[in-house]
Amino acid sequence: MEYKVEAHRIMSISLGKIYNSRVQRGGIKLHKNLLVSLVLRSARQVYLSDYYSGACLNAQSEREGNEWDITDSEREKFPPSATECDRVESTEETQPNEQPEKEREYRENDDEVKSDQVDCTSTLQEQNQNSSLDSVAKVSSETPPESITEPKESPSDSAVAERDSTPEANGESHQPPKTHVCSNRKRSAEESESGDSPQKRTKVASSNAKEDEEAEEMDTSNVSNLITIFGSSFSGLLSKESAKPEAEAEDSGQICCDQMLKNLNPWSTAIVAF
Amino acid sequence: MMAGVGGGNDFQWCFSQVKGAIDEDVAEADIISTVEFNCSGELLATGDKGGRVVIFQREQESKNRLLSRGEYNVYSTFQSHEPEFDYLKSLEIEEKINKIRWLPQQNAAHFLLSANDKTIKLWKISERDKRAEGYNLKDEDGRLRDQFRITTLRVPVLMPMDLMVEASPRRIFANAHTYHINSISVNSDYETYLSADDLRINLWHLEITDRSFNIVDIKPANMEELTEVITAAECHPHQCNVFVYSSSKGTIRLCDTRAAALCDRHSKFFEEPEDPSSRSFFSEIISSISDVKFSHSGRYMMTRDYLSVKVWDLNMENRPVETYQVHEYLRSKLCSLYENDCIFDKFECCWNGSDSAIMTGSYNNFFRMFDRNTRRDITLEASRENSKPRAMLKPRKVCTGGKRKKDEISVDSLDFNKKILHTAWHPKENVIAVAATNNLYIFQDKIN
Repeated sequence: MEYKVEAHRIMSISLGKIYNSRVQRGGIKLHKNLLVSLVLRSARQVYLSDYYSGACLNAQSEREGNEWDITDSEREKFPPSATECDRVESTEETQPNEQPEKEREYRENDDEVKSDQVDCTSTLQEQNQNSSLDSVAKVSSETPPESITEPKESPSDSAVAERDSTPEANGESHQPPKTHVCSNRKRSAEESESGDSPQKRTKVASSNAKEDEEAEEMDTSNVSNLITIFGSSFSGLLSKESAKPEAEAEDSGQICCDQMLKNLNPWSTAIVAF
Repeated sequence: MMAGVGGGNDFQWCFSQVKGAIDEDVAEADIISTVEFNCSGELLATGDKGGRVVIFQREQESKNRLLSRGEYNVYSTFQSHEPEFDYLKSLEIEEKINKIRWLPQQNAAHFLLSANDKTIKLWKISERDKRAEGYNLKDEDGRLRDQFRITTLRVPVLMPMDLMVEASPRRIFANAHTYHINSISVNSDYETYLSADDLRINLWHLEITDRSFNIVDIKPANMEELTEVITAAECHPHQCNVFVYSSSKGTIRLCDTRAAALCDRHSKFFEEPEDPSSRSFFSEIISSISDVKFSHSGRYMMTRDYLSVKVWDLNMENRPVETYQVHEYLRSKLCSLYENDCIFDKFECCWNGSDSAIMTGSYNNFFRMFDRNTRRDITLEASRENSKPRAMLKPRKVCTGGKRKKDEISVDSLDFNKKILHTAWHPKENVIAVAATNNLYIFQDKIN
C-alpha cells in the first residue's frame, strides 16, 4: 500500500515538473523532461504492478457481474469507427454508476481533444465505481503486452496481497473489461486517421519519450484522469463511497483537466517544432 | 591532507582569495555558471547567468612574498551574450554562459570561446599599453588640425599609456543548434572545435561561421521514441580525429571522424552494467552523466554522474577502472532531491595537471578531491568563515548515521542550495578555482 502512495506521489510531482517546465525561462529543457518522464513511467509501472497483484483476489463482488454485462454490450456497440461517441453515449444510461455528470464532463473534455479513441475509452471507464482506478488501469493499457497478459496471469497468482483493500476489490472486476479496452483501442488507433495529433498531445502530457509503439496509444483521457486524481488529493483514490467526494473531486479535476488540456496543445506544437 | 602532484609530498590546501559579493541575497545573474583556466594557467575565466565573462590574471610572483604565489586580479570584464527571443518558437533564449573554452595562445592576444544555449562566440582579448602621439593631421584630443597651420612634418611616436584590456567578438557561430548547447571543445588541431546540444554535435572551423558539419545526430525520426540525449562532449587532447560524448543513460561513445562523415556509429562504447540491487525510481536519473573529461595524457577519461566519479581506460569499454563515491549518503535521499530538483544538478569534474588527482563538487559548498595513487580522498569547504589569507582548510566530514562526532555535519543539516557545480584546476600547479554560487574561491597548496 505504501508503494502505491509513494508511486502516486512521485507521479504527481513528475507531472507538476513537466507542467512547470513550460513556463520556465529558456524554453523546455529536453534532458530534464526526458528524465522526469522516465521517473513518471517507473512510478506508474510500480503502481500498476502493485495494483494487478492485488486486484485478482476478490472474486465475490456483485459489481463485477454487472460490469461484465455492460462491458459486453459496450463491446458489441464499439466498432472501430469514427462514430463511436454516439453509441457509447447511448449505453451510458444502462450503467448503474453514480456519476453521469462526470461522464458528461469527460466527454466535453474529450470533445476538446477531438479524439475518437478518447471518447470511447473514457466513457468505458466511467462505468466503473472508482474513477481513480479506472485511470490507473487506463494508463496501464498503454504499456505493451504486459498489461494485457497480466490480468490473465493474475488469477494464477495466489498473492496474499491486500484482500481487505477496497480499491483492489473494485479493481479486479475491471480487469477483463480493460483487456478488451486495450485491444479495441489498439485497433481503433491503427484505423483512426487522426491518430497522430492526439497521441502526441497525450504523450507529451504524461511522458516526453516512449520506447514502444503501444505506448503511443495513451491518450488525453489518461492524463485527464491522472490530473483528476491529483487534483482531488487522493480522495478519489481511496474512497469507496462515491457521490459526494467524487463530485468534489470532479470539480477540481475538471479544472485541472482543462488547464492541462489547454497546455497540451502548445506543448505538442513545441515538440513538433523540435 | 593528501599526497600531491609529482611525488609523495603532503599538500595542504589553503585559502588564497575569494571573488564576488558577500551579500546574502544573491542576484541570479551573478551566479557563476562556468570556470576555466587557460592553457598556461595565467588567466582564469568565469561566466555567469547574466551572460558576463570575467577574466582574472595572475600577477607576477613577487620576490617579497615567497610563501604565496601570485594572486588573481580582474583583467577584463565584458558582456558576452544577451538574452534573446526566438520569435518563431516563442521561446526566450537565456544569456547564461554554459561553457568557456580557451584557445591555445598563438600571439600576444588571448582567444576564448563562450557559449550560451544557442550561440557560440569567439572573443579576442588584447592589451593596449601604448598609443601613438604626435599625429600630423589631428591634435592630441582628436580634433582635426587646420591644414594651413601645418608647417612641419613629424613622425608619431609610441608612448606608454595605462594598460587597457579590450575584448572584441571576432566570430559569432549562430543558428546551428535547435536544442540547448551543453558542451564546446577545442580540437587539438587548433583549427576546429565541436559544439554539442541535446541531440546533435557539430564540428566548426574557427574561421568559418556560416556553416558547420553535423557529425552526430541522435534525434529519432519520431520524437516519441526518444530515450536518451547527449549530455557532454569533448575532443581528445592529442588525436584530432577522436572525440567522445556521454549520454543521459550513463554511456559514453568514442567516435572517430575518419570512419565516416556522420559519426552515428561509435568506435567504442563505454558502459558499466547496472547493479540491479540498487535499482529505484531514480536509477536512470542518477546514472545520467553530467560531465566527461579526458585526462591530460589522453589515456583516460573521467565521467561524473550524480553520486560518483568514474575513471575509464580508453582501452577498456566494459567498466571503469576507478570509481569514487562523491556523496553516497544521498542515495537514501533521492526522493527528496527529486522533489527539490537537486537531483538534476549537473556537477562537473576536473583533473589536476599530472592526472594524479581529480576534483568535483558537492552540496553545502563542499568539494571533494581524490588521489588516484593513494586512493585517499578529502572533503573541503568553500566558505567565508575559512577565508583568512593563507588559512589552512580543514577536512570536513559528513556523518552518515549513528552518533555524530564533533566537527561532523549530519546529512540533514546539509544546505542543498549551496552547491559547487564548477571547479577548475590549474594546468601546471596546485591552484584550484571553486565556484560557490556567486563567489569564486581560489585555493593554493601551502609550500612547505
